[in-house]
Amino acid sequence: METGFLQEQKVLEGDLNSENSHQNSVDFLMNWFRKQSIFVLAYGTGCGAIEMPPTFTSRYDAERLGIRGAATPRQADVIIVSGYCSYKTLRRIIRTYEQMSNPKYLLALGSCTVNGGMYWDSYNTIKKLEDYLPVDMYVNGCMPRPESILEGFIALQKEIGEGKASSWQKYEENYEFYRKNQEAVLGKKVEPSYEADWYLYEGGL
Amino acid sequence: MFSEIKNRFATDDVEVKRKGLYKVVVKHERLFALIVMLKEMYDYKTLNTITCTDWIEEGHFALTYIMTTLKRNETFMLQTMILREEAHTKSLSYLFKQAQIMERDLHEMYGIKFEGNENLKELSLENWVHTPPLRREFDTLEFVNNHLTFRDGRDDNIDTKAESKRLRAIKKAEKEAAKKAKESKKAEDVQ
Repeated sequence: METGFLQEQKVLEGDLNSENSHQNSVDFLMNWFRKQSIFVLAYGTGCGAIEMPPTFTSRYDAERLGIRGAATPRQADVIIVSGYCSYKTLRRIIRTYEQMSNPKYLLALGSCTVNGGMYWDSYNTIKKLEDYLPVDMYVNGCMPRPESILEGFIALQKEIGEGKASSWQKYEENYEFYRKNQEAVLGKKVEPSYEADWYLYEGGL
Repeated sequence: MFSEIKNRFATDDVEVKRKGLYKVVVKHERLFALIVMLKEMYDYKTLNTITCTDWIEEGHFALTYIMTTLKRNETFMLQTMILREEAHTKSLSYLFKQAQIMERDLHEMYGIKFEGNENLKELSLENWVHTPPLRREFDTLEFVNNHLTFRDGRDDNIDTKAESKRLRAIKKAEKEAAKKAKESKKAEDVQ
């Protein structure tokens, strides 16, 4: 097996007969870098967010796979939609997702994002996340344990490495479809307002 | 205290649930006087919660105000009925500040108007234009079917009950066939 610079040389020349032949060597390298360092937005919705701290801290230690947290959406590569997603949350998720820079990936946790889960007859919870935002990887379970989350991340890394995870391109290409679905449940004004009326109304607390 | 409530507020519906837990049902127009009396004269300084029950068959909402005094560790439940169509009552926010957000919640979920409450904006919903969701005439399942799409089942999805029945029938048939073969073999051996 070739190692060191021989391996690199092989990568740079590109192997047209391999299964990754649709990628040129630059693409391959870029995807390889991307998959080795995944910054996950510190954002949680629903109950699945409780599984994320053990995933990222010493017990399951996702950092050994190059997965670690990012503070703001502009710095993040991956957003995790961890659990049920009400209309109100969906607004915030859309805003956050659109703020993230390309390439960006979306990982959906739990059965609620797949088909509504136990909220299947809730008036205020969406049933299929992929109608509103493009999903790269679903991790099912209620709730998925940190092992499953890591498995989902590894599958996502594999897809990134092969150049198959391209949901952000899908979102740009089919923006009308997504926007139409978003407006169907959220009304014409999809973006949330920044008004903090919880504690700052006239004559408030 | 109970005799005073009975005489002043013309109600026989005073109930001692257990030691330190009382319930009274009063007419709507006398409720606020009773609340003021309990607060000022009997030290019920805390309003724990306001809840609403939807009695759609009788045509009214039952509002329950739960008040506590820490001095004697007693709890008082005051219930009153308001008409469902009007759904209109007075606000308690001038007596208890915490009533403001409780009433805001009830206004959002049941559509009850609280006169005198300065902010009845939506609390947890956003841009909700349909029937208030906790009213019983609001059919959740119908709403979901009209407004949201479900994921179709898998292609290889099978009715497990029918499938297990079918498998059991096949197994039974196999067993009987084997039994018959064994018997016929035995008969042959004997011959």
